[in-house]
Amino acid sequence: MARVLIADDDADIRDLVAFKLLQSGHEVTAVEDGMAALRALREQPPDLALLDIRMPGMSGLDVCRELRAAPETATLPVIMITARSQEGDVEVGFAAGADDYIIKPFSPRELSSRVNAVLNRVER
Amino acid sequence: MIAPEVVTGAFVCLMAVFVALCVLIAGIRGARGYRNRRRERIAAPVRPLLLELLCADEAEQGWPLLRLAEMDRRTWKALEPTLAEMLGKVSGTARSGLVRLYELRGATENAVCELGSLRANRRGRAAQVLGRLGHRPAVPELCRLLADHDPEVRLSAARALGRVGDARAVPYLLESLRGSRAVPPGTVTRALTLLGPEALRGIAAGLEHSEPLARAVSIEVLGATGAVSRTTEIARALRDDPHTEVRIKAARALGRLGMPDGLEPLMEAVRPGHPVGLRIVAAGALGSLGALAATGPLGRLLGDPDPHVAATAARALLRLGLAGEDTLRAAADDPAGGPAAAHARAALAEASVGSRLDVRVEVAL
Repeated sequence: MARVLIADDDADIRDLVAFKLLQSGHEVTAVEDGMAALRALREQPPDLALLDIRMPGMSGLDVCRELRAAPETATLPVIMITARSQEGDVEVGFAAGADDYIIKPFSPRELSSRVNAVLNRVER
Repeated sequence: MIAPEVVTGAFVCLMAVFVALCVLIAGIRGARGYRNRRRERIAAPVRPLLLELLCADEAEQGWPLLRLAEMDRRTWKALEPTLAEMLGKVSGTARSGLVRLYELRGATENAVCELGSLRANRRGRAAQVLGRLGHRPAVPELCRLLADHDPEVRLSAARALGRVGDARAVPYLLESLRGSRAVPPGTVTRALTLLGPEALRGIAAGLEHSEPLARAVSIEVLGATGAVSRTTEIARALRDDPHTEVRIKAARALGRLGMPDGLEPLMEAVRPGHPVGLRIVAAGALGSLGALAATGPLGRLLGDPDPHVAATAARALLRLGLAGEDTLRAAADDPAGGPAAAHARAALAEASVGSRLDVRVEVAL
């Protein structure tokens, strides 16, 4: 079981991802913007963060850069979520320090597998 | 001179209108917020079931599927917008579960019926839902809606046809580009691009269309989808089409496709005597093609009287690798080089500072 933070301004996606990860036995914290994500990350650092790239105010990319800049969160696994029409964001996401990405539309099962794969990689 | 009472009266009237508008906007927002909250409240009890359906394996979808299909009309109405949104957000078994739910509920058939509704917003919404469902039986009806009197419905129909991905829609989409009820070319291009390989034959047939815009859109789609087998037809359009816009699209497509067959027609298109817009795009396309044989013709263009053609040729030479850079250096070092030397030096300077200027010049139709 791992602690996962989800930051997405889309309530449907947030609920869906949280539901799937809870089903998979993870502990989930869901927030709706980048600022709230940073607050949650500092209060109780998770084992993995799932960040939507496009969020109002502070984007997922900005959050990722902040995480990588701070020594205590520099190695935290981050998976970015982006829409198919914004695939150009993937390259920028990796440059910002993301470990993996998921493109919408996505399969909840695939998302769960990717989360587990990244967590396993980190454990090793 | 205007009387003070008139000024005061006008000011009071303006203020009254302003206040009335504010109240109206606040009222509309409040009503919308109330409606959304009410919808969320009604849908809340079945939302966990929906999440269960979306997260379940195919074999486990039966129970949540049946429970959701049995919900009362009021709850369905509240949940349906979320379902329609979700169709565009999930894939795999989650999406197929949603499609089955629409079918079990009879909502797919309802949407097909709604395509004939007298209300434009209903026709548009039905087209949107059927597109997201990928409902192929609705294709003939959606094609008919491409000529709808309401522009929003026409847009929804074109987008839906792209999502459904049925090649039968190609001639209708191309035809929808003309007339007083035309669909915007960008929407048609996107829809045709989504149709997939089975539509390529029909799109290539669009090169013979009597409408220049339809030919241009067909060429753009063939270039964007990497239809290398159609290079010969596109090269013919570049040489022979009577419309410059079509030839420009053909030049750009040949650059994108990157096939050797494109070289000769592009080298012909950059020669003086052709329209400047075409020569610029063709010069950029020669850079994209990356053929060393283009080095000489591009080098000669450095001294072209048109500065845009010359600058594009210089940047295109950079994309040809060492041979292109050598040509640029030779031109830059020529003491009597004039504007050609200046263009060469500018391109080399851009390259040395690592700027990646795109040589493709977007000439919109």
